[in-house]
Amino acid sequence: MAISLRNLSVDYNLPIGTAHALRDVSLDIQKGEMLGLVGESGSGKSTVAFALMGLLANNARVTSGTATIEGRQFDLTRHNATASLRGRGMAMIFQDPMLSLNPVFTIGAQLIEVLRRRAPGGDRKTRIAQAEDALAKVKLSNPKQRMDQYPHELSGGMRQRVVIAMALLSEPALLIADEPTTALDVTVEAQIMREIIGLRDRIGCAVLLITHSLGLVTEHCDRISVLYAGERLESGSVRDVQRQPGHPYTRMLFDCEVPIDRERHADATQNRFTVIAGELPDPRRRPPGCIFSGRCDVSFEDCAKLVPGDYPVAGNVEHGARCLRLVTP
Amino acid sequence: MTDAITVHDALLRFGETAALESVSVSIPQGTCFGIVGESGSGKTTLMRAVLGLQRLDAGEIHILGTPLQQGRAALRQRARIVQPIFQDPAASLSPRSRIRTLMNEVGTVLNEPRAATHERLLVILKRLGLPESVIDKYPHEISGGQARRVAIARALLMKPSILIADEPTAGLDVSVQGDLLNLLQDIRRAQNITLVVISHNLAVVRLIAENAVVMRAGRVVEIGEVGALFGAPREAYTKELLAAWPRVTHAASA
Repeated sequence: MAISLRNLSVDYNLPIGTAHALRDVSLDIQKGEMLGLVGESGSGKSTVAFALMGLLANNARVTSGTATIEGRQFDLTRHNATASLRGRGMAMIFQDPMLSLNPVFTIGAQLIEVLRRRAPGGDRKTRIAQAEDALAKVKLSNPKQRMDQYPHELSGGMRQRVVIAMALLSEPALLIADEPTTALDVTVEAQIMREIIGLRDRIGCAVLLITHSLGLVTEHCDRISVLYAGERLESGSVRDVQRQPGHPYTRMLFDCEVPIDRERHADATQNRFTVIAGELPDPRRRPPGCIFSGRCDVSFEDCAKLVPGDYPVAGNVEHGARCLRLVTP
Repeated sequence: MTDAITVHDALLRFGETAALESVSVSIPQGTCFGIVGESGSGKTTLMRAVLGLQRLDAGEIHILGTPLQQGRAALRQRARIVQPIFQDPAASLSPRSRIRTLMNEVGTVLNEPRAATHERLLVILKRLGLPESVIDKYPHEISGGQARRVAIARALLMKPSILIADEPTAGLDVSVQGDLLNLLQDIRRAQNITLVVISHNLAVVRLIAENAVVMRAGRVVEIGEVGALFGAPREAYTKELLAAWPRVTHAASA
Protein backbone atom coordinates (compact mmCIF):
# COMPACT_ATOMS: atom_id res chain seq x y z
CA MET A 1 0.00 0.00 0.00
CA ALA A 2 1.30 3.43 -0.86
CA ILE A 3 2.58 5.88 1.70
CA SER A 4 1.42 9.43 1.32
CA LEU A 5 2.19 12.65 3.05
CA ARG A 6 -0.05 15.65 2.46
CA ASN A 7 0.59 19.35 3.04
CA LEU A 8 3.18 19.08 5.75
CA SER A 9 4.08 22.46 7.25
CA VAL A 10 6.45 22.82 10.19
CA ASP A 11 7.49 25.94 12.10
CA TYR A 12 10.40 26.33 14.48
CA ASN A 13 10.19 28.87 17.27
CA LEU A 14 13.57 30.54 17.48
CA PRO A 15 14.73 33.46 19.63
CA ILE A 16 14.92 35.52 16.42
CA GLY A 17 11.36 34.71 15.35
CA THR A 18 9.36 31.90 13.81
CA ALA A 19 11.17 30.02 11.04
CA HIS A 20 8.97 28.22 8.52
CA ALA A 21 11.00 25.08 7.87
CA LEU A 22 8.44 23.35 5.65
CA ARG A 23 5.51 24.73 3.68
CA ASP A 24 2.86 22.37 2.30
CA VAL A 25 5.18 19.54 1.36
CA SER A 26 3.51 16.44 -0.10
CA LEU A 27 5.14 13.13 -1.00
CA ASP A 28 3.96 9.77 -2.32
CA ILE A 29 5.92 6.55 -2.17
CA GLN A 30 4.69 3.28 -3.62
CA LYS A 31 5.36 -0.01 -1.89
CA GLY A 32 8.72 -1.43 -2.91
CA GLU A 33 9.83 1.90 -4.26
CA MET A 34 12.61 4.22 -3.15
CA LEU A 35 12.00 7.96 -3.19
CA GLY A 36 15.01 10.26 -3.02
CA LEU A 37 14.33 13.49 -1.19
CA VAL A 38 17.13 15.85 -2.19
CA GLY A 39 17.95 19.22 -0.80
CA GLU A 40 20.78 21.32 0.50
CA SER A 41 21.30 22.29 4.13
CA GLY A 42 18.37 24.33 5.38
CA SER A 43 15.96 22.86 2.85
CA GLY A 44 14.03 21.05 5.60
CA LYS A 45 14.64 17.51 4.36
CA SER A 46 15.43 16.10 7.80
CA THR A 47 12.43 17.94 9.25
CA VAL A 48 10.22 15.80 6.97
CA ALA A 49 11.68 12.65 8.52
CA PHE A 50 11.44 13.93 12.06
CA ALA A 51 7.83 15.06 11.59
CA LEU A 52 6.88 11.60 10.28
CA MET A 53 8.65 9.81 13.11
CA GLY A 54 7.46 12.23 15.78
CA LEU A 55 11.01 13.20 16.67
CA LEU A 56 10.74 16.95 16.23
CA ALA A 57 12.45 19.18 18.77
CA ASN A 58 10.38 20.91 21.43
CA ASN A 59 10.44 24.24 19.65
CA ALA A 60 8.92 22.76 16.49
CA ARG A 61 5.23 22.84 15.67
CA VAL A 62 3.46 20.97 12.88
CA THR A 63 0.90 23.45 11.59
CA SER A 64 -0.60 21.16 8.96
CA GLY A 65 -0.10 17.70 7.52
CA THR A 66 -1.58 14.24 7.32
CA ALA A 67 0.16 10.95 6.62
CA THR A 68 -1.37 7.79 5.27
CA ILE A 69 0.62 4.70 6.18
CA GLU A 70 -0.65 1.14 5.76
CA GLY A 71 -4.14 2.47 5.05
CA ARG A 72 -4.34 4.38 8.31
CA GLN A 73 -4.52 8.15 8.47
CA PHE A 74 -2.48 10.16 10.94
CA ASP A 75 -3.02 13.79 11.76
CA LEU A 76 0.57 14.98 12.17
CA THR A 77 -0.44 18.18 13.97
CA ARG A 78 -1.32 16.01 16.97
CA HIS A 79 1.36 15.29 19.52
CA ASN A 80 3.02 11.88 18.98
CA ALA A 81 0.62 11.12 16.14
CA THR A 82 2.61 8.21 14.74
CA ALA A 83 3.77 6.71 18.07
CA SER A 84 1.98 3.43 17.40
CA LEU A 85 3.98 2.98 14.20
CA ARG A 86 7.46 3.48 15.63
CA GLY A 87 9.34 0.21 15.64
CA ARG A 88 6.44 -1.57 13.87
CA GLY A 89 5.23 0.34 10.84
CA MET A 90 8.15 2.71 10.48
CA ALA A 91 11.88 2.44 10.94
CA MET A 92 14.59 4.99 10.54
CA ILE A 93 18.29 4.87 9.71
CA PHE A 94 20.20 7.93 10.84
CA GLN A 95 23.41 9.47 9.55
CA ASP A 96 25.33 8.56 12.68
CA PRO A 97 24.66 4.91 13.59
CA MET A 98 26.33 5.42 16.96
CA LEU A 99 23.44 7.68 17.93
CA SER A 100 20.80 5.06 17.15
CA LEU A 101 22.61 2.31 19.03
CA ASN A 102 22.77 2.27 22.80
CA PRO A 103 26.45 2.18 23.85
CA VAL A 104 25.81 0.17 27.03
CA PHE A 105 23.92 -2.75 25.46
CA THR A 106 25.28 -5.47 23.22
CA ILE A 107 24.25 -5.66 19.58
CA GLY A 108 22.29 -8.81 20.35
CA ALA A 109 20.31 -7.20 23.18
CA GLN A 110 19.31 -4.32 20.92
CA LEU A 111 18.20 -6.55 18.06
CA ILE A 112 16.16 -8.74 20.40
CA GLU A 113 14.51 -5.62 21.84
CA VAL A 114 13.19 -4.83 18.35
CA LEU A 115 11.69 -8.30 18.04
CA ARG A 116 10.17 -8.10 21.48
CA ARG A 117 8.42 -4.87 20.55
CA ARG A 118 7.21 -6.13 17.20
CA ALA A 119 5.96 -9.53 18.31
CA PRO A 120 5.55 -9.80 22.08
CA GLY A 121 5.24 -13.26 23.49
CA GLY A 122 7.75 -15.23 21.44
CA ASP A 123 10.52 -17.23 23.03
CA ARG A 124 14.07 -16.03 23.48
CA LYS A 125 15.75 -18.79 21.47
CA THR A 126 13.78 -18.02 18.32
CA ARG A 127 14.55 -14.34 18.74
CA ILE A 128 18.26 -14.95 19.04
CA ALA A 129 18.15 -17.08 15.92
CA GLN A 130 16.19 -14.40 14.05
CA ALA A 131 18.61 -11.68 15.17
CA GLU A 132 21.63 -13.69 14.02
CA ASP A 133 19.89 -14.37 10.77
CA ALA A 134 19.28 -10.65 10.25
CA LEU A 135 22.96 -9.86 10.86
CA ALA A 136 23.91 -12.50 8.32
CA LYS A 137 21.45 -11.03 5.82
CA VAL A 138 23.10 -7.61 6.01
CA LYS A 139 26.44 -9.38 5.45
CA LEU A 140 28.00 -8.68 8.80
CA SER A 141 30.84 -11.12 9.33
CA ASN A 142 30.63 -13.61 12.24
CA PRO A 143 27.05 -12.82 13.30
CA LYS A 144 27.27 -15.12 16.33
CA GLN A 145 30.20 -13.24 17.88
CA ARG A 146 28.77 -9.84 16.90
CA MET A 147 25.71 -10.49 19.06
CA ASP A 148 27.87 -10.18 22.18
CA GLN A 149 29.82 -7.15 21.03
CA TYR A 150 29.15 -3.53 21.93
CA PRO A 151 28.63 -0.79 19.33
CA HIS A 152 32.05 0.81 20.03
CA GLU A 153 33.78 -2.39 18.97
CA LEU A 154 32.47 -2.06 15.41
CA SER A 155 33.46 0.28 12.58
CA GLY A 156 31.09 2.91 11.17
CA GLY A 157 30.05 0.73 8.24
CA MET A 158 29.47 -2.29 10.48
CA ARG A 159 27.33 -0.21 12.85
CA GLN A 160 25.23 1.02 9.96
CA ARG A 161 24.72 -2.63 8.97
CA VAL A 162 23.49 -3.38 12.50
CA VAL A 163 20.98 -0.52 12.24
CA ILE A 164 19.80 -1.90 8.90
CA ALA A 165 19.43 -5.33 10.52
CA MET A 166 17.27 -3.72 13.21
CA ALA A 167 15.11 -2.15 10.51
CA LEU A 168 14.91 -5.51 8.78
CA LEU A 169 13.63 -7.18 11.95
CA SER A 170 10.95 -4.58 12.51
CA GLU A 171 9.58 -5.21 9.00
CA PRO A 172 8.35 -1.65 8.52
CA ALA A 173 5.95 -0.42 5.87
CA LEU A 174 8.07 2.70 5.57
CA LEU A 175 11.82 2.91 6.02
CA ILE A 176 13.29 6.39 6.35
CA ALA A 177 17.03 6.65 5.69
CA ASP A 178 18.37 10.10 6.58
CA GLU A 179 21.81 10.56 5.01
CA PRO A 180 22.66 6.93 5.81
CA THR A 181 26.03 6.97 4.09
CA THR A 182 27.26 10.53 4.57
CA ALA A 183 29.72 9.56 7.30
CA LEU A 184 31.04 6.57 5.35
CA ASP A 185 33.71 6.02 2.69
CA VAL A 186 32.61 5.59 -0.92
CA THR A 187 33.31 1.88 -1.11
CA VAL A 188 31.36 1.30 2.11
CA GLU A 189 28.64 3.66 0.88
CA ALA A 190 28.02 1.47 -2.14
CA GLN A 191 27.77 -1.63 0.08
CA ILE A 192 25.36 0.01 2.53
CA MET A 193 23.13 1.21 -0.31
CA ARG A 194 23.04 -2.36 -1.61
CA GLU A 195 21.94 -3.57 1.84
CA ILE A 196 19.17 -0.96 2.02
CA ILE A 197 17.93 -2.02 -1.41
CA GLY A 198 18.18 -5.66 -0.37
CA LEU A 199 16.05 -4.92 2.69
CA ARG A 200 13.48 -3.10 0.59
CA ASP A 201 13.20 -5.99 -1.85
CA ARG A 202 13.05 -8.55 0.92
CA ILE A 203 10.16 -6.99 2.85
CA GLY A 204 8.71 -4.86 0.08
CA CYS A 205 8.60 -1.65 2.09
CA ALA A 206 8.62 1.92 0.82
CA VAL A 207 11.91 3.76 1.34
CA LEU A 208 12.38 7.48 1.81
CA LEU A 209 16.05 8.27 1.16
CA ILE A 210 16.97 11.72 2.41
CA THR A 211 20.23 12.92 0.95
CA HIS A 212 22.14 15.84 -0.50
CA SER A 213 23.82 13.56 -3.03
CA LEU A 214 22.23 13.53 -6.49
CA GLY A 215 24.61 10.75 -7.40
CA LEU A 216 23.05 8.41 -4.83
CA VAL A 217 19.53 9.30 -5.95
CA THR A 218 20.12 8.81 -9.65
CA GLU A 219 21.89 5.54 -8.98
CA HIS A 220 19.47 3.95 -6.55
CA CYS A 221 16.10 5.70 -6.45
CA ASP A 222 12.95 5.27 -8.53
CA ARG A 223 11.57 8.72 -7.89
CA ILE A 224 12.99 12.03 -6.79
CA SER A 225 11.57 15.05 -4.96
CA VAL A 226 13.57 18.25 -4.79
CA LEU A 227 13.24 20.41 -1.72
CA TYR A 228 14.41 24.01 -1.52
CA ALA A 229 13.97 26.35 1.46
CA GLY A 230 11.09 24.26 2.81
CA GLU A 231 9.16 23.87 -0.44
CA ARG A 232 8.97 21.01 -2.89
CA LEU A 233 9.99 22.43 -6.24
CA GLU A 234 9.93 19.32 -8.37
CA SER A 235 9.06 15.65 -8.29
CA GLY A 236 8.97 12.85 -10.79
CA SER A 237 10.70 9.66 -11.83
CA VAL A 238 14.47 9.91 -11.64
CA ARG A 239 14.67 9.27 -15.35
CA ASP A 240 12.26 12.05 -16.34
CA VAL A 241 13.68 14.61 -13.95
CA GLN A 242 17.22 13.89 -15.04
CA ARG A 243 16.36 14.05 -18.70
CA GLN A 244 14.35 17.21 -18.51
CA PRO A 245 14.48 19.08 -15.19
CA GLY A 246 11.29 21.11 -14.93
CA HIS A 247 12.65 23.56 -12.42
CA PRO A 248 15.76 25.71 -12.96
CA TYR A 249 16.94 24.85 -9.42
CA THR A 250 16.97 21.14 -10.25
CA ARG A 251 18.89 21.82 -13.45
CA MET A 252 21.42 23.99 -11.61
CA LEU A 253 21.80 21.38 -8.88
CA PHE A 254 22.61 18.72 -11.49
CA ASP A 255 25.10 21.11 -13.10
CA CYS A 256 26.91 21.57 -9.77
CA GLU A 257 27.67 17.85 -9.48
CA VAL A 258 31.20 17.12 -10.60
CA PRO A 259 31.08 13.96 -12.71
CA ILE A 260 33.88 11.53 -11.95
CA ASP A 261 34.60 11.16 -15.66
CA ARG A 262 35.03 14.86 -16.31
CA GLU A 263 38.56 15.22 -17.55
CA ARG A 264 40.95 17.91 -16.51
CA HIS A 265 41.57 20.55 -19.13
CA ALA A 266 45.21 21.39 -19.85
CA ASP A 267 44.33 25.07 -19.63
CA ALA A 268 43.72 25.47 -15.89
CA THR A 269 41.25 28.32 -16.38
CA GLN A 270 38.88 25.82 -18.05
CA ASN A 271 38.59 23.66 -14.96
CA ARG A 272 35.83 25.70 -13.34
CA PHE A 273 33.26 24.40 -10.91
CA THR A 274 29.61 25.41 -11.28
CA VAL A 275 28.06 27.48 -8.51
CA ILE A 276 24.52 28.64 -7.71
CA ALA A 277 24.99 32.30 -6.82
CA GLY A 278 23.08 33.90 -3.97
CA GLU A 279 21.83 32.67 -0.63
CA LEU A 280 18.85 30.90 0.88
CA PRO A 281 15.91 33.24 1.61
CA ASP A 282 15.19 34.20 5.22
CA PRO A 283 13.08 31.31 6.65
CA ARG A 284 11.13 33.80 8.78
CA ARG A 285 9.84 35.94 5.93
CA ARG A 286 9.01 34.17 2.71
CA PRO A 287 9.71 36.43 -0.26
CA PRO A 288 6.70 36.92 -2.58
CA GLY A 289 6.47 34.88 -5.77
CA CYS A 290 8.65 31.85 -6.48
CA ILE A 291 10.89 30.94 -3.54
CA PHE A 292 13.85 30.47 -5.88
CA SER A 293 13.37 33.61 -7.99
CA GLY A 294 16.21 35.52 -6.29
CA ARG A 295 18.82 32.97 -7.44
CA CYS A 296 17.23 31.83 -10.66
CA ASP A 297 19.03 32.42 -13.97
CA VAL A 298 15.86 32.46 -16.11
CA SER A 299 13.46 34.39 -13.87
CA PHE A 300 11.22 37.07 -15.29
CA GLU A 301 9.03 39.81 -13.86
CA ASP A 302 6.12 37.62 -12.74
CA CYS A 303 8.41 35.24 -10.84
CA ALA A 304 8.83 37.72 -8.00
CA LYS A 305 5.04 38.32 -7.78
CA LEU A 306 3.13 35.09 -8.47
CA VAL A 307 3.50 31.93 -6.45
CA PRO A 308 3.76 29.15 -9.05
CA GLY A 309 1.54 26.08 -8.79
CA ASP A 310 2.65 22.53 -9.49
CA TYR A 311 2.60 22.20 -13.28
CA PRO A 312 3.18 19.05 -15.34
CA VAL A 313 6.50 18.95 -17.20
CA ALA A 314 6.24 18.10 -20.91
CA GLY A 315 2.61 17.07 -20.44
CA ASN A 316 3.59 14.31 -18.03
CA VAL A 317 1.30 14.33 -14.97
CA GLU A 318 3.75 12.10 -13.10
CA HIS A 319 6.43 14.77 -13.37
CA GLY A 320 5.63 18.16 -11.87
CA ALA A 321 7.56 21.32 -11.11
CA ARG A 322 6.69 24.65 -9.59
CA CYS A 323 7.99 27.04 -12.21
CA LEU A 324 6.06 29.73 -14.09
CA ARG A 325 8.18 29.07 -17.18
CA LEU A 326 6.25 25.83 -17.65
CA VAL A 327 2.99 27.71 -18.22
CA THR A 328 4.43 30.78 -19.92
CA PRO A 329 4.55 30.44 -23.67
CA MET B 1 63.73 23.48 -10.00
CA THR B 2 63.60 22.09 -6.48
CA ASP B 3 60.38 20.38 -5.56
CA ALA B 4 58.08 22.18 -3.15
CA ILE B 5 57.72 19.09 -0.98
CA THR B 6 59.49 15.77 -1.11
CA VAL B 7 58.71 12.90 1.20
CA HIS B 8 61.10 9.99 1.03
CA ASP B 9 60.31 6.57 2.47
CA ALA B 10 58.23 7.89 5.35
CA LEU B 11 57.37 5.49 8.15
CA LEU B 12 55.12 6.26 11.08
CA ARG B 13 53.53 3.86 13.50
CA PHE B 14 50.82 4.37 16.08
CA GLY B 15 51.38 1.31 18.23
CA GLU B 16 50.71 -1.70 16.04
CA THR B 17 49.19 0.18 13.12
CA ALA B 18 51.35 1.72 10.44
CA ALA B 19 49.88 5.15 9.72
CA LEU B 20 52.48 5.71 7.01
CA GLU B 21 54.66 3.04 5.46
CA SER B 22 57.26 3.57 2.73
CA VAL B 23 55.48 6.67 1.48
CA SER B 24 57.42 8.65 -1.10
CA VAL B 25 55.90 11.66 -2.79
CA SER B 26 57.34 14.65 -4.59
CA ILE B 27 55.34 17.74 -5.38
CA PRO B 28 56.70 20.18 -7.98
CA GLN B 29 56.53 23.90 -7.23
CA GLY B 30 53.57 25.88 -8.49
CA THR B 31 51.41 22.83 -9.18
CA CYS B 32 48.32 21.46 -7.55
CA PHE B 33 48.70 18.04 -5.99
CA GLY B 34 45.86 15.83 -4.77
CA ILE B 35 45.98 13.27 -1.99
CA VAL B 36 43.00 10.90 -2.12
CA GLY B 37 42.01 7.93 -0.02
CA GLU B 38 39.37 6.71 2.39
CA SER B 39 39.32 7.24 6.13
CA GLY B 40 42.36 5.75 7.80
CA SER B 41 44.42 5.87 4.62
CA GLY B 42 46.95 8.25 6.17
CA LYS B 43 46.15 11.38 4.13
CA THR B 44 45.85 13.69 7.11
CA THR B 45 48.81 12.05 8.89
CA LEU B 46 50.95 12.77 5.85
CA MET B 47 49.85 16.40 5.96
CA ARG B 48 50.64 16.64 9.66
CA ALA B 49 54.07 15.15 9.08
CA VAL B 50 54.81 17.69 6.35
CA LEU B 51 53.72 20.48 8.67
CA GLY B 52 56.07 19.12 11.33
CA LEU B 53 53.16 18.38 13.67
CA GLN B 54 53.85 14.67 13.61
CA ARG B 55 57.35 13.24 13.91
CA LEU B 56 58.21 10.40 11.53
CA ASP B 57 59.74 7.17 12.83
CA ALA B 58 61.89 6.98 9.72
CA GLY B 59 62.20 8.72 6.39
CA GLU B 60 62.89 12.23 5.23
CA ILE B 61 60.84 15.27 4.36
CA HIS B 62 62.23 18.25 2.46
CA ILE B 63 60.40 21.54 2.04
CA LEU B 64 61.82 23.54 -0.89
CA GLY B 65 64.97 21.47 -0.61
CA THR B 66 65.48 22.09 3.11
CA PRO B 67 65.24 19.10 5.44
CA LEU B 68 62.36 19.33 7.89
CA GLN B 69 63.53 20.05 11.40
CA GLN B 70 61.72 19.78 14.70
CA GLY B 71 61.65 22.49 17.33
CA ARG B 72 59.87 25.77 17.84
CA ALA B 73 62.28 27.94 15.88
CA ALA B 74 62.10 25.66 12.84
CA LEU B 75 58.31 25.51 13.10
CA ARG B 76 58.12 29.30 13.09
CA GLN B 77 60.42 29.51 10.13
CA ARG B 78 58.37 26.93 8.26
CA ALA B 79 55.10 28.74 8.96
CA ARG B 80 56.19 31.41 6.49
CA ILE B 81 56.48 28.80 3.76
CA VAL B 82 53.79 26.16 4.43
CA GLN B 83 50.32 27.02 5.65
CA PRO B 84 47.51 24.57 6.44
CA ILE B 85 43.77 24.92 6.11
CA PHE B 86 42.36 22.34 8.47
CA GLN B 87 39.35 20.18 7.82
CA ASP B 88 37.11 21.81 10.40
CA PRO B 89 37.80 25.53 10.06
CA ALA B 90 35.42 26.44 12.86
CA ALA B 91 37.44 24.27 15.23
CA SER B 92 40.68 25.95 14.22
CA LEU B 93 39.31 29.37 15.15
CA SER B 94 39.38 30.18 18.85
CA PRO B 95 35.79 30.60 20.01
CA ARG B 96 36.80 33.20 22.58
CA SER B 97 38.53 35.71 20.35
CA ARG B 98 37.35 37.84 17.48
CA ILE B 99 38.65 37.15 13.97
CA ARG B 100 40.65 40.38 14.29
CA THR B 101 42.74 38.98 17.16
CA LEU B 102 43.56 35.90 15.14
CA MET B 103 44.68 37.96 12.17
CA ASN B 104 46.80 40.26 14.35
CA GLU B 105 48.76 37.24 15.53
CA VAL B 106 49.98 36.77 11.99
CA GLY B 107 51.52 40.26 12.16
CA THR B 108 53.25 39.33 15.39
CA VAL B 109 54.71 36.17 13.87
CA LEU B 110 55.87 38.02 10.76
CA ASN B 111 57.19 40.97 12.81
CA GLU B 112 55.14 43.29 10.69
CA PRO B 113 53.58 46.60 11.79
CA ARG B 114 49.90 46.12 12.57
CA ALA B 115 48.77 48.69 10.01
CA ALA B 116 50.60 46.87 7.22
CA THR B 117 49.06 43.52 8.16
CA HIS B 118 45.64 45.11 8.27
CA GLU B 119 46.07 46.64 4.85
CA ARG B 120 47.06 43.30 3.33
CA LEU B 121 44.17 41.65 5.16
CA LEU B 122 41.65 44.00 3.58
CA VAL B 123 42.92 43.10 0.13
CA ILE B 124 42.69 39.37 0.90
CA LEU B 125 39.18 39.66 2.40
CA LYS B 126 37.99 41.43 -0.70
CA ARG B 127 39.57 38.76 -2.84
CA LEU B 128 37.76 36.04 -0.88
CA GLY B 129 34.45 37.88 -1.04
CA LEU B 130 34.27 38.40 2.72
CA PRO B 131 32.79 41.61 4.15
CA GLU B 132 35.21 43.76 6.14
CA SER B 133 32.88 43.54 9.12
CA VAL B 134 33.79 39.87 9.52
CA ILE B 135 36.95 40.77 11.46
CA ASP B 136 34.91 42.10 14.36
CA LYS B 137 32.89 38.91 14.66
CA TYR B 138 33.34 35.85 16.81
CA PRO B 139 33.60 32.46 15.06
CA HIS B 140 30.10 31.40 16.16
CA GLU B 141 28.61 34.44 14.44
CA ILE B 142 29.70 33.39 10.96
CA SER B 143 28.51 30.58 8.68
CA GLY B 144 30.48 27.43 7.86
CA GLY B 145 31.39 28.69 4.41
CA GLN B 146 32.57 31.99 5.86
CA ALA B 147 34.62 30.24 8.55
CA ARG B 148 36.41 28.33 5.81
CA ARG B 149 37.16 31.57 3.98
CA VAL B 150 38.45 33.11 7.19
CA ALA B 151 40.79 30.14 7.62
CA ILE B 152 42.02 30.64 4.05
CA ALA B 153 42.44 34.38 4.63
CA ARG B 154 44.55 33.69 7.70
CA ALA B 155 46.70 31.21 5.80
CA LEU B 156 47.21 33.62 2.90
CA LEU B 157 48.09 36.46 5.25
CA MET B 158 51.22 34.49 6.13
CA LYS B 159 52.34 34.85 2.48
CA PRO B 160 53.02 31.12 2.12
CA SER B 161 54.40 29.53 -1.01
CA ILE B 162 52.74 26.20 -0.17
CA LEU B 163 49.14 25.83 0.90
CA ILE B 164 47.82 22.49 2.19
CA ALA B 165 44.03 22.17 2.33
CA ASP B 166 42.56 19.20 4.19
CA GLU B 167 39.08 18.38 2.81
CA PRO B 168 38.39 22.01 1.80
CA THR B 169 34.78 21.29 0.80
CA ALA B 170 33.72 18.87 3.55
CA GLY B 171 30.33 19.85 4.90
CA LEU B 172 29.61 22.38 2.17
CA ASP B 173 26.63 22.15 -0.15
CA VAL B 174 27.29 21.41 -3.82
CA SER B 175 25.99 24.83 -4.81
CA VAL B 176 28.70 26.58 -2.79
CA GLN B 177 31.60 24.12 -2.83
CA GLY B 178 32.44 25.07 -6.42
CA ASP B 179 32.84 28.67 -5.39
CA LEU B 180 35.52 27.75 -2.87
CA LEU B 181 37.35 25.45 -5.27
CA ASN B 182 37.35 28.10 -8.00
CA LEU B 183 38.75 30.53 -5.48
CA LEU B 184 41.57 28.19 -4.45
CA GLN B 185 42.47 27.68 -8.10
CA ASP B 186 42.51 31.41 -8.80
CA ILE B 187 44.67 32.19 -5.80
CA ARG B 188 47.09 29.47 -6.67
CA ARG B 189 47.52 30.78 -10.22
CA ALA B 190 47.65 34.46 -9.28
CA GLN B 191 50.27 33.97 -6.57
CA ASN B 192 52.03 30.95 -7.95
CA ILE B 193 51.36 28.92 -4.82
CA THR B 194 51.86 25.18 -4.60
CA LEU B 195 48.49 23.79 -3.58
CA VAL B 196 48.07 20.42 -1.91
CA VAL B 197 44.46 19.25 -1.68
CA ILE B 198 43.58 16.33 0.56
CA SER B 199 40.17 14.95 -0.30
CA HIS B 200 38.04 11.87 -0.50
CA ASN B 201 36.24 13.50 -3.42
CA LEU B 202 37.89 11.93 -6.44
CA ALA B 203 35.92 13.98 -8.98
CA VAL B 204 37.11 17.24 -7.45
CA VAL B 205 40.75 16.15 -7.30
CA ARG B 206 40.63 14.96 -10.87
CA LEU B 207 39.61 18.43 -11.97
CA ILE B 208 41.84 20.69 -9.92
CA ALA B 209 45.07 18.75 -9.48
CA GLU B 210 47.78 18.04 -12.03
CA ASN B 211 49.15 15.08 -10.10
CA ALA B 212 47.70 12.94 -7.37
CA VAL B 213 48.39 10.04 -5.08
CA VAL B 214 45.93 7.36 -4.03
CA MET B 215 46.58 6.11 -0.52
CA ARG B 216 45.28 3.16 1.42
CA ALA B 217 46.11 2.00 4.94
CA GLY B 218 49.19 4.23 5.12
CA ARG B 219 50.64 3.14 1.81
CA VAL B 220 50.84 4.65 -1.64
CA VAL B 221 48.61 2.66 -3.97
CA GLU B 222 49.18 4.64 -7.13
CA ILE B 223 50.71 7.98 -7.97
CA GLY B 224 50.90 10.04 -11.12
CA GLU B 225 49.35 12.53 -13.48
CA VAL B 226 45.56 12.73 -12.94
CA GLY B 227 44.61 12.02 -16.55
CA ALA B 228 46.36 8.65 -16.47
CA LEU B 229 45.54 7.94 -12.83
CA PHE B 230 41.77 8.32 -13.25
CA GLY B 231 41.52 7.59 -16.95
CA ALA B 232 43.50 4.37 -16.94
CA PRO B 233 44.15 3.25 -13.35
CA ARG B 234 46.59 0.38 -13.02
CA GLU B 235 45.79 -0.73 -9.48
CA ALA B 236 42.68 -2.70 -8.55
CA TYR B 237 42.02 -0.45 -5.56
CA THR B 238 41.99 2.72 -7.66
CA LYS B 239 39.54 1.05 -10.02
CA GLU B 240 37.36 0.00 -7.10
CA LEU B 241 37.32 3.55 -5.74
CA LEU B 242 36.32 4.95 -9.11
CA ALA B 243 33.64 2.34 -9.64
CA ALA B 244 32.11 2.97 -6.21
CA TRP B 245 31.70 6.66 -6.98
CA PRO B 246 28.01 7.44 -7.50
CA ARG B 247 27.57 9.00 -10.91
CA VAL B 248 24.80 11.23 -12.14
CA THR B 249 25.61 11.00 -15.80
CA HIS B 250 24.73 7.60 -17.16
CA ALA B 251 20.94 7.71 -17.28
CA ALA B 252 21.09 11.05 -19.07
CA SER B 253 23.34 9.66 -21.75
CA ALA B 254 21.40 6.41 -22.02
